[in-house]
Amino acid sequence: MPGWNSLKWLLWISLYLIPVVFLPWAISRTWVYQHGKELHLKPQQLFQRGELGLPSLVLACSVIWNLLQSQLTPHTIALGSVIMGLSGIMAVSVWVETYCRQSSGGDQRPERGWRDSRNLALLVFSMAAVLEILLDRFAKVVGQ
Amino acid sequence: MSAPAPALAAPAKTPRKIAVVRMADASGAVAILSLVFGLLLVFFPESFPRMIVRSWQHAQLMPIMMVFTFLLDTCLYLRVAYLQSAKPRPAAAACLGSLPILVVGGLSILLRSALSYTLSAGLPNLQARLAEEILAHTYLGLVSAVFLPFLAIRLLQQLKAANA
Repeated sequence: MPGWNSLKWLLWISLYLIPVVFLPWAISRTWVYQHGKELHLKPQQLFQRGELGLPSLVLACSVIWNLLQSQLTPHTIALGSVIMGLSGIMAVSVWVETYCRQSSGGDQRPERGWRDSRNLALLVFSMAAVLEILLDRFAKVVGQ
Repeated sequence: MSAPAPALAAPAKTPRKIAVVRMADASGAVAILSLVFGLLLVFFPESFPRMIVRSWQHAQLMPIMMVFTFLLDTCLYLRVAYLQSAKPRPAAAACLGSLPILVVGGLSILLRSALSYTLSAGLPNLQARLAEEILAHTYLGLVSAVFLPFLAIRLLQQLKAANA
C-alpha cells in the first residue's frame, strides 16, 4: 500500500515552486500588462542569471536544520548535511558565476546560467524531498 | 625531387577538444535518481526498505551500489563527451573509475560505525532504527557516489585552468 503520508513531503517541496518560479513569473506578467509593453517573458529569461540558486541554498539550509533536530546518528546527520550543503553551495555559485561572467561581458551563451541553475535547483529540491521523507519515517520509528 | 601533391598529402589532424564537465550534467541525473528513490519509498514503503535491508544483510548492497554508480558515472561522462564532440580525458576517466568505488567503500565503513553507535546506545525499537539508518545511508551513498566524482573533476579542471 502506498505511503500517502510520505507523499505529503513531495507535495510540500513542490509548493516551494509556487513562490520561487510561478510568483515572479506572474508578477512580471502583471508588470507587462500594467505598463502596456510588448514582452513575453519566460521563466528561463527571468532566471537566466541563475537566480534559482538562492532559494535552493535556503531550502538546503532548512533541510540541514531538520536533520540536526532529528535523532539519527551523528554519522548520518553529518553525511546528509555535507551533501545537502554542497549541493546548495554549488547551486548558489552558479548564480554568482553567471552574474560575474555576464557583468564582465565574457559570457557568449546566456542560456547556460538558466540550464545549470535549473538542474542544480532540481537536485536540491529532489534531495530535500527524499530527506524529509526519510526523516518522517525515522520520527515514526522513534515515536513507536 | 618534387614536392608531394596537396591532394596526396596526409590530411592534417585537427586535435579534438577535451571534454569539459559541468556540475549541471551530473545534477540532472542525480535529481532523477533522487525522485525515483523518493517515489519508491512512497509507493512501496514496506517492501522497498525491506529489500535494501535484506541485501545489506547478505552483503550484496555495497557491490551493487559500486557497480551501479560506476556505470552511471561512466555513461554520464561519455554522454558529456559525445554532446561536446570531445575526447574523454584520461585523468577524468580514471577519477570516475575509482572515486565511486572509494566513496561507496568509505560510506560502508561510516554505516558500520553508525550501526555500532545505534547498537551501543541500547535504544528501544532497535531493528526498525537500524533499518532506517541503512536506508538513509543507501540513499546518501548513491547520491554521493554519483555527485562527488563530478565535483572532483570539476574542481580539478578549474585548478588546471587557473594554473595554465
